[in-house]
Amino acid sequence: MDYSCVFPQQLDKNNSRNTSDAVKMALSISTLSLLILLPHALTSTSHLAVISPQDPALPIGSSLTVLCAVSAELGLAASSLYWTLNGRRLARSTYTVLSPTELSVTLHRLNGSQQQSGDNLVCHSDNGDVLAGSCIYVGMPPEKPDNLSCWSRNTKDLSCRWSPGGQGETYISTKYILKYKLRWYGKEKECQDYNVGQPYTCYIPRDLAIFTPYEIWVEASNQLGSATSDVIILDILDVVTTDPPPDVHVTRLGELDDQLSVRWASPPALKDFLFQAKYQIRYRLEDSAEWKVVDDVGNQTSCRLAGLKPGTVYFVQVRCNPVGIYGSKKTGIWSDWSHPTAASTPNSKRLQTGSCDPKSEEHNSTLRQELKQFFGWVRKHTYGCTNVSIKLYDQWRVWLQKAHKTRNLVLQSGKS
Amino acid sequence: MVGCVQVEDRAVTLSNERNSIERTYELTKYLDHQLKEIKDTYLLYLGPPFSDPDFSPPRPNISSLAVPSAATRVDLWRGLENGARLAQNQRAYSVLLCAVRELARSTLCPYLQSSLLHFCSGLSGLLGSISGLMNALGYTPPLPTDGHAPLTTPALSPRPALNDFTRKVEGFWVLRELQSWLWRSAKDFTRLKKRLRA
Repeated sequence: MDYSCVFPQQLDKNNSRNTSDAVKMALSISTLSLLILLPHALTSTSHLAVISPQDPALPIGSSLTVLCAVSAELGLAASSLYWTLNGRRLARSTYTVLSPTELSVTLHRLNGSQQQSGDNLVCHSDNGDVLAGSCIYVGMPPEKPDNLSCWSRNTKDLSCRWSPGGQGETYISTKYILKYKLRWYGKEKECQDYNVGQPYTCYIPRDLAIFTPYEIWVEASNQLGSATSDVIILDILDVVTTDPPPDVHVTRLGELDDQLSVRWASPPALKDFLFQAKYQIRYRLEDSAEWKVVDDVGNQTSCRLAGLKPGTVYFVQVRCNPVGIYGSKKTGIWSDWSHPTAASTPNSKRLQTGSCDPKSEEHNSTLRQELKQFFGWVRKHTYGCTNVSIKLYDQWRVWLQKAHKTRNLVLQSGKS
Repeated sequence: MVGCVQVEDRAVTLSNERNSIERTYELTKYLDHQLKEIKDTYLLYLGPPFSDPDFSPPRPNISSLAVPSAATRVDLWRGLENGARLAQNQRAYSVLLCAVRELARSTLCPYLQSSLLHFCSGLSGLLGSISGLMNALGYTPPLPTDGHAPLTTPALSPRPALNDFTRKVEGFWVLRELQSWLWRSAKDFTRLKKRLRA
């Protein structure tokens, strides 16, 4: 199945809806009131002209000569005809009149087709009527598909994805077939469900064997060639993933303002086939893109996150890896992350105290500077004041603060 | 007394029919709306000149377009009996449903293909609605409504298109006919409703 093609764009809806009801009404009334007697010739294309070649497929850069042979009974001269490619008229210099009813055109250095349904090369009569057309497919053969990987959900099914290889764009319709077979038993099977959600994917829903390896590969083909990916060999049990853990709850731990408790349930499939599961948690701040991962959760279904910021909203997700499937020691593939659960840590309980420290640091630094200079001068120019220094000043300040506090306490206790 | 009971029954029946017609009318409008989107995407898929606004290639003379023409003379249209009116609609959509299915099948683009198939189920519903109406109003039993109606002109058996360009032209016309018919059906059902009120 190929995938790349037209996607619905924001088409100019106004234009297409300008056939407003009023216009439609007028149109249909005039159509209804018209006596329609269409000449038979205008309702049939089958014998107006014949183009060859029809629907050619060519590699990019090729040249092509196309012939339009118009029906003699139309009475049109070949020299009066013209060609368009994708609606654009082609230069007369590229035409060659081969006979009174045959006109050819030569195209050089063709680019990849504009649409997957093929480029439209049309032969017109001089008044613009369409006489005949041919679809031209210009592209490249497919490259070898690569990056083939597969995973199984709960050992029941197998999903595979691959890349188209090379540039990825072949310009023409390219089909991919995913094939698989049990390694030591010859029968080859084809995957049927393609592009489930994403391009270059296929889904095998059932009838898969375990405890025995599969060979899997992708074959790409189009009108210009084909290519096959490398074969991968895997045992379903080696590529198992499961659903994300359900019922993830994140709650506060009492008054603790830097911790949150995360709890979840084990995925339901666990009891069907898994021996145990291991989990991983990740969390981030509400407005941050950086996740922090907690790796050593083991197989518990709860965990305590510590070292968090108080009064902050966190988003938390959990995922699961099935390990030890049917007794093997191997790990499987991590599940998707659970839907984010949000919770907030409590606000910090510590009082927002006004700082006891001197507030106006700037004042002090000018004062201190001056004092230092003063004490320096005193030490030099006086006798007996050798101990005077800025340290003394600081000690005095400390003493002052203590004295201030005591006074306040006395005052307060005095009040009560 | 018996006469009064009969009249009452008839009124109830007609009221049911009018509701059915109203629903069918609504379905027609809905499909018309859906078709606009699909048609725009499909024309882009076909590429220019099909996607150019004034483009109109000659209409192919093939079985998948062997529908009664939506366009008709005003006097003929007005004069249509209820049964004949419904029958024309039914015949048109039978043929067009087949044609759109074929269109879907040959579309390379998976997204477009699923849109077309989804549209087909809507069309199929419309067909069923019309057949149901015909039954309820006591008209000729309808043709099989699964969209694979046996063609009344066996000579025009479906054949694959000669080439891809011709197939594009056919697809272009199928969607154009479908659009004409959805416009016309809306008027047909409005007229039917009026007539049943009388």
